[in-house]
Amino acid sequence: MNFNLFAAEEQAIEQARSLGERLNAVAPECAADFEAVIEAFQRSTREQRRLVRVSDRLQAQLGAVNQELERRRQEAEIALARLREAQEAMLQAEKLASLGALVAGVAHEINTPVGIAVSCASHLSDATDRLKRANEGGGLSRGDFARYLATASDTTGLILDNCQRAAQLIAGFKQVAVDRASAERRRVNLGAYIQETLVSLQPKLRPVGHGVSVSCPADLELDSHPGVLSQILANLVMNALTHAFTEGQPGSMTILVETPDADTVRLTFADNGRGMTEEHRARVFEPFFTTRRGQGGSGLGLHIVHNLVVGALKGSIAVDSAVDRGTAFTLLFPRVTPPDEPRGGERTQPT
Amino acid sequence: MDSLNIPATGRTPGVAFDFAAGHLRLTGESYPDDVAAFFGPVFTALRAWLAEPGDDPITFDMELLYFNSSSAKALMNLFQMLEAAAKAGRPVTINWCHEENDESMRELGEDFSEDLRHVAFSLRNVPAGGIE
Ligand SMILES: Nc1ncnc2c1ncn2[C@@H]1O[C@H](COP(=O)(O)OP(=O)(O)O)[C@@H](O)[C@H]1O
Ligand SMILES: [Mg+2]
Repeated sequence: MNFNLFAAEEQAIEQARSLGERLNAVAPECAADFEAVIEAFQRSTREQRRLVRVSDRLQAQLGAVNQELERRRQEAEIALARLREAQEAMLQAEKLASLGALVAGVAHEINTPVGIAVSCASHLSDATDRLKRANEGGGLSRGDFARYLATASDTTGLILDNCQRAAQLIAGFKQVAVDRASAERRRVNLGAYIQETLVSLQPKLRPVGHGVSVSCPADLELDSHPGVLSQILANLVMNALTHAFTEGQPGSMTILVETPDADTVRLTFADNGRGMTEEHRARVFEPFFTTRRGQGGSGLGLHIVHNLVVGALKGSIAVDSAVDRGTAFTLLFPRVTPPDEPRGGERTQPT
Repeated sequence: MDSLNIPATGRTPGVAFDFAAGHLRLTGESYPDDVAAFFGPVFTALRAWLAEPGDDPITFDMELLYFNSSSAKALMNLFQMLEAAAKAGRPVTINWCHEENDESMRELGEDFSEDLRHVAFSLRNVPAGGIE
């Protein structure tokens, strides 16, 4: 026989029975009552058995629920880790794509002045060959020489101008590209830097005839992360081109820089495109929010912009928009970026 | 006598005692913070009704999905009240409902029927998720 949990109770019932028999002999009038007491005790023992079972069942259910909970917690953790990896990968991809676009812009922009310089140089070289042959044949006239001089001075002038233009572009791009890649901090004239960034976007703007007007105090100097700023502007411009304007229709954008006080910069980027509904407007900074899923939209552009403004420039960004009324992004950030707070340290200022 | 209806909450069962029709039901889950406070009025109403003269049949549907130990003891007390009525000659049926894959709930039903001699006790299979 197995171990009996209720052996003691059963033994007590046995004892009660034999006690009952003795009681029956001496006081038969008590027998029925005593029988009822035994009966009640027996029922109580049976109920105890049932309650133990109920409680065991509850424990088993609790154990199963806990296991399930642990399993789901692990699943959720794994899913979260995967999501983080995927997000990280997409952020990197987006960054590379914007660098790629920059490089393409550089190549395209430099092509024009270099092309002009090459054709001028080949023109000059042809003219020089002709002059040499005429000179060797002894038939060089004054008129030939004068024409050659005119050609030479025209072409060398053009070559010089265009090479300078190319050198200038390269210097500008180099700075923007290096800034982009390193997010390094330095002093920069904001107006000039905005222009340099816009030049790299010209290949996207020019074909359709989009216009960007810039209004910025000429002497405004930032001590900040210009590469971050250029990435932000490039993102906003590209968004206006893809989302705000009807394909093939020229649109206009404005960049307005003001200084509400000497240490604060307010930069407003506005387009006169189709705008957004309030529902979309409220969500544009959410990661993966895009109205162009499946058409090249990742929904990360403005999320990255938001992170860059808040994280790198230590500022804030807001968006104002209405359907058919265009969209305006307003960035507010310190002229001199404050140093990073020490990690894990106590905050000295509430944010 | 008026019906007793208490809607279910997260921790307390739904009580639907239609005394006029002789149909009593307990549904949902039962692990009240204070078992006495919850079951006290239920027992009072049932006791008062059983004390009224009458021998119309009674059906009790036990449709709880989950109950704690104190609720189990309350249930046994309730069954004993019905057993007493059945012993006195009233036809009483208890239906112990359990989800069809819930073997241990079925076994509990068998255990709970152990002390019922005069009540007609039956185990009822309901599809999982079907008790509501
Ligand atoms: N200038 C704009 N005009 C209208 N809608 C815009 C503009 N910029 C962004 N949006 C909306 O915000 C969404 C999110 O933008 P973004 O985060 O850059 O993702 P993506 O460009 O990959 O769609 C866009 O899908 C678009 O619906
Ligand atoms: Mg975008």
